[in-house]
Amino acid sequence: MPNVSTFKAPALDRYPAPAFGVSEVKMLDATSLVKYFYRGTVNEVLALDHVDLKVDSGQFVCIIGSNGAGKSTLMGCVSGYSLPDQGSTILDGRDITMWPEYKRSKLIGRVFQDPLAGTCASMTIEENMALALRRGKRRGFRRGVTNSERELFRASLAKLDLGLETRLTDQVGLLSGGQRQSITLLMATLIKPKLLLLDEHTASLDPKTADLIMKMTRQLVEEERITTIMITHNMQQAINYGHRLIMLHHGRIILDFGPDAKSKLTVKDLLQRFHSAAPNGSDSLSDRMLLG
Amino acid sequence: MSFYAFTGAIEQGLVYGLMTLGVFITFRVLDFPDLTVDGSLPLGAAVSAVCITGGMSPWLSLLPAMGAGFLAGMVTGILTTRLKILHLLASILTMTALYSVNIRVMGGRPNVPLITKPTVIGPVRELVSSLGINPWLASSFLFLVLVIFVVAVLIWLMRTEFGQALLATGDNPKMITSLGVNTSFTIVVGVGLSNSLVSLCGALVAQNQGTAEVSMGVGTIVAGLASIVVGETLFGGRRIVSRIISVVLGSVIYRLAIAMALSMNVFRPSDLNLITASIVVASLCLPKVKTYFRNRSYRDKNA
Repeated sequence: MPNVSTFKAPALDRYPAPAFGVSEVKMLDATSLVKYFYRGTVNEVLALDHVDLKVDSGQFVCIIGSNGAGKSTLMGCVSGYSLPDQGSTILDGRDITMWPEYKRSKLIGRVFQDPLAGTCASMTIEENMALALRRGKRRGFRRGVTNSERELFRASLAKLDLGLETRLTDQVGLLSGGQRQSITLLMATLIKPKLLLLDEHTASLDPKTADLIMKMTRQLVEEERITTIMITHNMQQAINYGHRLIMLHHGRIILDFGPDAKSKLTVKDLLQRFHSAAPNGSDSLSDRMLLG
Repeated sequence: MSFYAFTGAIEQGLVYGLMTLGVFITFRVLDFPDLTVDGSLPLGAAVSAVCITGGMSPWLSLLPAMGAGFLAGMVTGILTTRLKILHLLASILTMTALYSVNIRVMGGRPNVPLITKPTVIGPVRELVSSLGINPWLASSFLFLVLVIFVVAVLIWLMRTEFGQALLATGDNPKMITSLGVNTSFTIVVGVGLSNSLVSLCGALVAQNQGTAEVSMGVGTIVAGLASIVVGETLFGGRRIVSRIISVVLGSVIYRLAIAMALSMNVFRPSDLNLITASIVVASLCLPKVKTYFRNRSYRDKNA
């Protein structure tokens, strides 16, 4: 990928972090979410055990946890991919608990782990971005891509500094995974979402590209002050980014650090805290989480 | 090949080009293998024939025919999206049910003759012969104009916001759902649209041959698929515009190939399905064979 080194992300301290736990208005207010899999069979799993997750407007939350901790299930209950058995999900004052996935997309921007999952390979860059620009809007018989939109796309692609602004009519399938993930990230924030969900969105990328995407994420999220939830397997990443760090274990939130506590945190601390907080001492964290 | 065999093949290629466009929308755009078409082609023919017999203008009769096709496609779409039946099976179920429906539509008979009835081709035939052109070519001219019109409408549609959502539904349903599109809706409308084109084709074929028959839909899907594969292999292209046009050209080439095979006096008309299936198999594996030999030649050079 070209120009990796020229990408500049603004420093975090230019933007004051939102007050932690003070604000009255929560952007996301998930209460007592319960989700079982294979309920009533011998394989019954309690994936979410009365999870409460309240996120302030403008807050960037990192969620970590080992395999099967319930990260993806929690994300699913917020994105609408799966529905909870109990509990409620309120986003920006609207009860979206039972809304279908497509309907929630009006409010939520998403980036997936698979860098190919967020774009249409057979369509051009501008067509993909035009699809994202109409997120949650009625799609009628007006033109799919207009000239004024092309200018907008060119300007926002130029911000990525990957040279994609001159390739608007190239098919997305011709691009690399990193380039496609950059475009997906841009598409998710093209219309400012009430909530941005990042589902291990750098886990399938090489370290250099992952770093680039993370810097890009920080820039986009902080420029627009987007409320963000990021799932990650990587402890260091969870410590480096965002205002708040949550650890899930066996379907429950076992650790929750605000910005002050988080800034002093190291991977070693986190491990110690995990072992003392985990209800079952014999549990261990996966290698992938430790090695990042 | 005689003049009549040649022009007959062109005529068939153009009218079945409408059906091929319908199959293209499901197979290629939506990635939805839809066998409903074997039933919706005679459905269009039956509805149009019954309307004409009842005194409706032949042009106007194309509208209820298309509407019936749209409904048939919607049934398959709803079986798939709402009842979660596998798309292939859902379309086979609709196709099977349509056999009974088609006979009901035709008043309990397996065919409706249109020989003595007005058709859309009649006036064109008179116009063409008054211009001193062989009236045999009238259907070809009419179908050419209709195909160009439908191609233009489809190209326009695919560039609209709705068309783009339709394309994205087939390419990446997860992504387009996350961008707020209800893929159940786009699939139901897309399959409906596809089958309305197939029914339009059926109505025109019935008017052209002078009869609507319940069995005229047999093999529609294979012929449609063969036309798509032939068109993509010979003309192809990445852009939706060139893909739509290549599919229609593929339909014409396919009918010419069939006519040529039959004119060799080696094959009988009943061999048609074997030839068609062979064409599809050959076209489908051609790209893989090409890649294999290309890779092998590289390996030999580097060895």
